[in-house]
Amino acid sequence: MSRSQADLGLTATVAVLACAAAAVSAPVAVTAVLGILILAAPGYLLGELLFGAAIEGLERVAVAAGLALCVPILGGLILYAAGVQLHRATWLGLLAGLTLACDLVLLWRRRSGRAASFGWAPRRLPRRHAMAFGAAVAIAVCAVGIARAGVVWQHYPGFTQLWLVRSQGNAASVNLGVANHEGKTARYRLVLLRNFRPAGSWNLTLANGQTWHRSPSSSGRRISVKLYKLPELAHSYRYVAIDGSGAQ
Amino acid sequence: MQLPVSAIAVSAAIGVLVVAGAYTAGRLGHASSAWADSAYWLGQVLILVPAAARLLSRRVLTAGETMTLVIVLTVAEYLVMICYSPAAFSYVDELQHWRSTMNVLQTGRLFSVNYLLPISPRYPGLEEVTSALASVSGLSVFTSGLIIAAVAHLLFVCVLYLLFREVSGSYRIAGVAVLCYASNSHFDSFDSMFIYQTLALPFLALTLLAAWRLASGRIAGQRARWLALAVLTIAATVVTHHVTSYVLPVALLVITVAALLTGNRRAAAWPAVLALMSSAAAAGWLVFAAPQTWSYLQPFADLTVQSIRALLAGGHSSAPPTSGGPPGDQLLGAAAVLIVSALLPVGWWQVWRRYRGQPWTVAMAILSASWYVLVAVRLTVTDGSELAGRAATFTFIPAAYIVALAIGHLAGIAVRWQARAVAAAVLVVLLMLMFDGLANGWPPYWERLPGAYQVAGSERSVEPEVIDGARWTLAALGPGNQFAADFGSYPVLGSYGDQNPLRNVAYLYTSPVYSQSDTLRAQAQALRFVWVDSRLSKSLPAYGQYFPVDPRAGKYTHPLPAADLDKFNHVPGVGRIYDSGNIVIYELPGT
Repeated sequence: MSRSQADLGLTATVAVLACAAAAVSAPVAVTAVLGILILAAPGYLLGELLFGAAIEGLERVAVAAGLALCVPILGGLILYAAGVQLHRATWLGLLAGLTLACDLVLLWRRRSGRAASFGWAPRRLPRRHAMAFGAAVAIAVCAVGIARAGVVWQHYPGFTQLWLVRSQGNAASVNLGVANHEGKTARYRLVLLRNFRPAGSWNLTLANGQTWHRSPSSSGRRISVKLYKLPELAHSYRYVAIDGSGAQ
Repeated sequence: MQLPVSAIAVSAAIGVLVVAGAYTAGRLGHASSAWADSAYWLGQVLILVPAAARLLSRRVLTAGETMTLVIVLTVAEYLVMICYSPAAFSYVDELQHWRSTMNVLQTGRLFSVNYLLPISPRYPGLEEVTSALASVSGLSVFTSGLIIAAVAHLLFVCVLYLLFREVSGSYRIAGVAVLCYASNSHFDSFDSMFIYQTLALPFLALTLLAAWRLASGRIAGQRARWLALAVLTIAATVVTHHVTSYVLPVALLVITVAALLTGNRRAAAWPAVLALMSSAAAAGWLVFAAPQTWSYLQPFADLTVQSIRALLAGGHSSAPPTSGGPPGDQLLGAAAVLIVSALLPVGWWQVWRRYRGQPWTVAMAILSASWYVLVAVRLTVTDGSELAGRAATFTFIPAAYIVALAIGHLAGIAVRWQARAVAAAVLVVLLMLMFDGLANGWPPYWERLPGAYQVAGSERSVEPEVIDGARWTLAALGPGNQFAADFGSYPVLGSYGDQNPLRNVAYLYTSPVYSQSDTLRAQAQALRFVWVDSRLSKSLPAYGQYFPVDPRAGKYTHPLPAADLDKFNHVPGVGRIYDSGNIVIYELPGT
């Protein structure tokens, strides 16, 4: 393909690669770049088809970006109205299909002299300005990095979740669970009471982020659970209670 | 010596770095410290002052430099917003659209229920683009949303600059007008967040640009192309955001009227055609796809009309006292209102002298009068600041242009008279407007820096225990349960939890007994669960109210009594189903 059709070659390649990357479940680093490019490609091509070289500079970029945003909005709506669900394959089909279709139309128009060929005339920025803009980008990246580090460093008080709910679809049992979000491994004692009398207990050691589940019977008028965080056994750390099924 | 634009870009980047440092200090426990707050403002000075000074300097910028300055400023302020919550959405409005986008991704369907913002699925533009990007790129909804919002915001500013440049014929005036527009208090927040308005704004601007091109008569042979672009952007606006889709035909209609007033029928024709098309599209969408829009917008409209009627009748409107805030911020806000109010007539005078034959400038002058309506709404209508802030996104477009004409005129006088004092005063005025936008914008002063959990706050109520609690509700209870919750937990429960939190629930938390009438009222609301955060009894609400609808908003002098929150433990038949320390969830009987 000649240099005058380089944009068509590039957009077609992006369309094919984006589909291939999805088919082979490529890593996110690859799909992220291709995904952004395939979202932008139809806007660029539609802008070329509509206006070609009639508009330039900022206006050209703005029109291409606007059209790129219009494609998933209006295309998605049309597909959905036609009964197609909007999953990954649909979006890829829409974006890649439109890209390839626009490539073909634009190629035909260029070959028949109805559209201007691709031209790329990069402006040379003086070196010191280029270096300054590069430094600005690097500093901005550092700024976002520091902000993200702040989120990681921010201290939140740890907590433990305890729950007791009726099982959906199974009235004979209840869902009992504990999740540790204390920021470190914690040891617990869990005591199950039926009608305020002990009916079972468990000693648990949960790593941070770990969850524990059981589905005990819902028998009894009142089911309650006390969770102690060891070594403290004098006062319960968490407490839940619900009415049982009534059966003994 | 004048700074080159590249040096201003470095200054802006350092400004973002300093603000990011202030935010990190806030997260590490210094959110209330004066030095962290000062660091935030130092960062903003580094971003804003060099750009504004360069734009108003005597050495004229090239068109490319002006455009670069506008882009640098927009990107820098957007990065500041990212640095506020760089790992996940925390702004309430963003959480609402995050939920809608997740629904599209999980079901592949549009128009799914969003309990938090029921109107949002009826305008699915933002969710479609974001789910498309997230699907094909494998990026998270958060990252995809940031990319889409950034592109939309930058595109809006660039097209606004193009429009101002075309209408004024001066890229310098265009640059100043964009700077003035950036001083609107929602520019750095609600105009750039991951919300549907952010995406609709560039479509509105592109439609206006197409109307300008169609009406200018210098595009022989290209009319069909610009018309095609206008059709697409009108459709995209209508599908993306309700208010923007109604503002668009109004703006086009005023341009048409201005063209007729100036005797330019040719310039009136195309805006009239586009006004008809956009009206028909918006009406069609309203009737056939989003009939709920009216009931969503009606309360705001009713409130405004009632308050204005009361005021015109010589009575008092129901506006509460102007919201508090540091005296400095209030003073800056009042000064900014006075400055814009004083500059608009100067701009109109310029329009009369130099542009009265130009339909678009005359239209801008007519529309800019809405600024005074905005000020009246802010001062007289209940919740007027919120309404005025939301409306400012649109009314500030013409107002910024007319103010820029005034500033351009004053700067010209300064150059002609060699009056450095006048030049400095013009710069100070512009900077005051811009800093007012930040000081009185969003986040509010009490959450300007991110930090520890705040009771009934906004972004600072979004913390791990609340998020994990909300996630638990979705996993254990399923979606869509009617919940009572406090103001801070409400958006998290509706987004991460996909629950249906009700707004009018203060009665459940403000008495020590769960009475028979409370029971009946809860049953009438079909309430299933009550979310109780014991921290409500430990400090006053940051926002002034504990609940989404709170009869005692702004009147609290003590935190809620613990007994009012604990009472459900002693009510027969009420289940205590979840306990994470601060948060307890109760299941009401008979559900």
